[in-house]
Amino acid sequence: MNPDRAFPHEENANVIFRPLTFRNLEIKNRLLRSNISGTFDDYNGHGGHARLNWEEKFARGGVGAILTSFTPVTVRGRILTRYAMIDHDDKIPFWRAVGQRVHGHDCKLIMQLSHSGRQQDLGGVENLHLRAQSSTDKRDYFHGILCRAMSRPEIAEIVRLFAQGARRAREAGLDGVELHGANGYLITQFLSSGINDRKDEYGGNWEARARFVLEIVRAIRAEVGQDFHLQMKINGEDHNAWLYPWQKPGNTLDETLRICRLLMDDGKGVDAFHVSSGSTFPHPRNPPGDLPMRDLARWYDGMISQGTRAGFNHAIFSNRVTAQAFRAFWRWRRGRVIEGINLPYARAIRAAVHAVDPSVAVICTGGFQHADVIAGAIREGDCDAVSIARPLIANNDLPQILRQANGPERRRECTYCNKCLINDLENPLGCYEVSRFPGDSFEDRYQAMIADVMSVFDPPAFPPTPTPPRQEAQP
Amino acid sequence: MRRDDEPLTPVERAVRNRRRLVWLVVLALLGGLVWWLVGVNQYVVAQKTEQDHFLHGSIGAETENGLPYWVFKALPEIYSQKLGGEGWEHFGLITLPGDDLPLGFSRRVVTGVERVWFNCSLCHVGSYRMADGQQHLIAGAPSNNLRLQELISFLVEAGRDPGFTADSLMTGISKAGGQLSWPERLIYRHLVFPAVKTKLQWVGDRLAFIDRQEPWGPGRVDTFNPYKAIEFNFPMDEAHVGADVLNGASDYPAIWQQSPREGMNLHWDGNNDSVAERNLSAALGAGVTPVTVDRAAIGRIEEWMWHLPAPRYPGPVDEVKAARGEMLYTRYCAACHGRMAASPPLEPQRGPGSGAARLYAAAHVASNIATPPTRDCAAPQPAGPVVPAAGLGGYQQPGTYGEGIFAYAPARAYDYDRGRYPCLGQVVALDRIGTDPGRWRSYTREFAAAQNLLYAGYPWRFHRFHKTEGYAGHPLDGIWARAPYLHNGSVPTLRDLLEPAAARPVQWYRGSDELDTARVGYRADSAAPGRLFLFDTTRPGNANSGHDYGTQLTADQKDDIVEYMKKL
Repeated sequence: MNPDRAFPHEENANVIFRPLTFRNLEIKNRLLRSNISGTFDDYNGHGGHARLNWEEKFARGGVGAILTSFTPVTVRGRILTRYAMIDHDDKIPFWRAVGQRVHGHDCKLIMQLSHSGRQQDLGGVENLHLRAQSSTDKRDYFHGILCRAMSRPEIAEIVRLFAQGARRAREAGLDGVELHGANGYLITQFLSSGINDRKDEYGGNWEARARFVLEIVRAIRAEVGQDFHLQMKINGEDHNAWLYPWQKPGNTLDETLRICRLLMDDGKGVDAFHVSSGSTFPHPRNPPGDLPMRDLARWYDGMISQGTRAGFNHAIFSNRVTAQAFRAFWRWRRGRVIEGINLPYARAIRAAVHAVDPSVAVICTGGFQHADVIAGAIREGDCDAVSIARPLIANNDLPQILRQANGPERRRECTYCNKCLINDLENPLGCYEVSRFPGDSFEDRYQAMIADVMSVFDPPAFPPTPTPPRQEAQP
Repeated sequence: MRRDDEPLTPVERAVRNRRRLVWLVVLALLGGLVWWLVGVNQYVVAQKTEQDHFLHGSIGAETENGLPYWVFKALPEIYSQKLGGEGWEHFGLITLPGDDLPLGFSRRVVTGVERVWFNCSLCHVGSYRMADGQQHLIAGAPSNNLRLQELISFLVEAGRDPGFTADSLMTGISKAGGQLSWPERLIYRHLVFPAVKTKLQWVGDRLAFIDRQEPWGPGRVDTFNPYKAIEFNFPMDEAHVGADVLNGASDYPAIWQQSPREGMNLHWDGNNDSVAERNLSAALGAGVTPVTVDRAAIGRIEEWMWHLPAPRYPGPVDEVKAARGEMLYTRYCAACHGRMAASPPLEPQRGPGSGAARLYAAAHVASNIATPPTRDCAAPQPAGPVVPAAGLGGYQQPGTYGEGIFAYAPARAYDYDRGRYPCLGQVVALDRIGTDPGRWRSYTREFAAAQNLLYAGYPWRFHRFHKTEGYAGHPLDGIWARAPYLHNGSVPTLRDLLEPAAARPVQWYRGSDELDTARVGYRADSAAPGRLFLFDTTRPGNANSGHDYGTQLTADQKDDIVEYMKKL
């Protein structure tokens, strides 16, 4: 039994809804909307109206801060099309608008600066004839996405683009930036000993592998100064060999701790760490949960043109026997724990970081949706805050629920089915778990689900104007 | 310059390349499979019984030296006139009713083409008739009617014959009933025929010395001169192979009862005391090579002949005379040849399951000897549980051994004890034995040295061949079925052998398989049935001199010995 169940809910709520002060930022509670996004925006990376609605949903729901999902610093680093980018100053007005919407609900907005590297799921027509940029020439072993190792000038350019992204975020009035250094994207591809096979100064021991991200941190600080919130998402451990045991395991927790201390850069580096795990995306540990094989068979097909192994994967997902075998394997590799799966890593990182500088906060992600778990983690010093994605998609008002209760009603809880994740490839992001929705028949529940998913488009960009009353003809 | 505005994406290129690679691998695997199935793997007809395996099973001779099946079938059609319309029977070959190939020929599919060539039974199937003219065959007896030299010459001449062309071959195949498909016709015309022609010409070149040799005649073979030429490429011209070593033709041996012969000096001149090595060497003579030999098939034959019983004399025996003859035989012959077993048991008999013991026991029952044999051979007994003798009733007497036309009653037990018969299996010096030296001379030291290099690198490498000083004395089990006598078959009957050399027939006829029951041997007179061959003992290699043991006895005593020898 979780010992924090011994605490009355009010105690847990007090812990959760106590403000968190970073070095350069304060948020009203310990709940952050983790980075997750639908393909709502314009194809060319300009933001769309739906994204304003999307981010506002969560701000309205009461989270303390929102981490924008995967904002590419260049189109070469896009993971999916129709994600708003931060590759040019012309994107600043949009992000300013997003910030204003979010700020209106006393919520902070932290932009996640990202580059896909070789984990470019749907690179779009702009990248169709290009190999993805990476630390290595070895293709991604899950989807088989082709890549090539970046040259030093290219690395320097990417570092510059990250810094420019941070500058644009600040100019847009956002509250901070996060470097996506976890889950297999470009920064992980440099950090991970399981992926980085470079022979130059960017490959080798942990320090060399961290050179790339350290250069980004320093470039960002040079661009935005010390008083702008900068945090880093990082894997506690890579678990790189989850699919193929002959793959190298990747970074250990010990290496991660060293890298974190390095990125603090004597107080001039990052202000917080956001802890995840898993060197690919998806990964049995991230997002932790189930694997919806039928949804994969339906929506993974768009990946077939993207990676050399995607066709094979789709064949596996489409066959009942192999699909169930893969699902069982996936669940076995994940382990039993879902909610708080990364807390042990967060605890270790926080301890290591606080030993040097207690002002550096640690945020942990991983299926949080219960007050006792969240409060327990914070109370125990495992982390300072939690980031939540799927449970917030399921219940946009989760913070308000947590203020009142330990969690959502049982039937309204996030089931960790990961259907939201898979549908995102081809459909608007939302909760696709029909069983969570009210209704006496499948049709009713499905209609309710669709209405909830489509709520992201409300209000529409062009709301209907009221029709003026018709003038009666004068006799 | 060509513009390509629709290039494949990197992923598409990689998938295409991988698909090509997969196809390449699949095609390579398929190609490899076809290559292995057609080009490497060979196919033989599995025989159910050991006897059928001996008669029809392949030992691997077809691979290197075999004639493609339809060439074999076509040659008698093409040269029908030359063979007198007899087909392959012209060379003393025997084709059983219902069989497609003569005895001594087996088939094997090599590189997709069925080929036929010799197996062990070519030289080791004997034929005899009693006065009633009914032919009987004995698997394991010497092939007394095989005219191997003529067969070789026929094939060599076909190779040299300008009239033997692809066209004549195809016509011959048609006449032989071959209805080849068009791919088979193409293969036979353009691949098989040139290869056969070339091979026959090569054989003709290598065996050109045969033309200088005395005719071997039926039932004889020059074992080692062709061996020198084919296996070792020895120069065989007159300067290297003079008249002294040129004629080494000798009778085919019987191959029964090999177990007791292990350790004896085998071959006529006793040049090897290992049955297995002798067998492998003989297989080379049949056409296998160290590379193509089918050792498993030969091993199966070895198992079979290890305990194969000698045949019992099919005619009546005068037991009174034989009893007198036994005394004389024991005195004059047994030291070098062993004799019929007659000792009482000294120890418990082995169980009926122990092969040789069972056969010998059975033989004793048949011969009404009151006690089963004890030591029936000098070779070690196979390991097995020793059970007390259960009396004669404990042994099952097989009425016959072998199957069909090859069925015969086993001979009485033979005593091969080299402790008791010190000269058995030993070489007697040439100046003592005095028989024709041709065969002895044909086996040279150089040849023995070359033989001992065969199968180098394998555990069964030859290492026991050696030059001896004379001819070896062998057991005389089933001697009635091993006529004519002496190594070179120069004496037609046992009775003649007991005469001084000067009194032995000088010219006589080989080729009849009718038994001379009085003198024991095949009839050698000009009126004998069969296709006869005049054997001239004055020709080189054919001398009937030597082996003067018992020649000083009286005629009655000699008759008695011969009567006794019928029982061996």
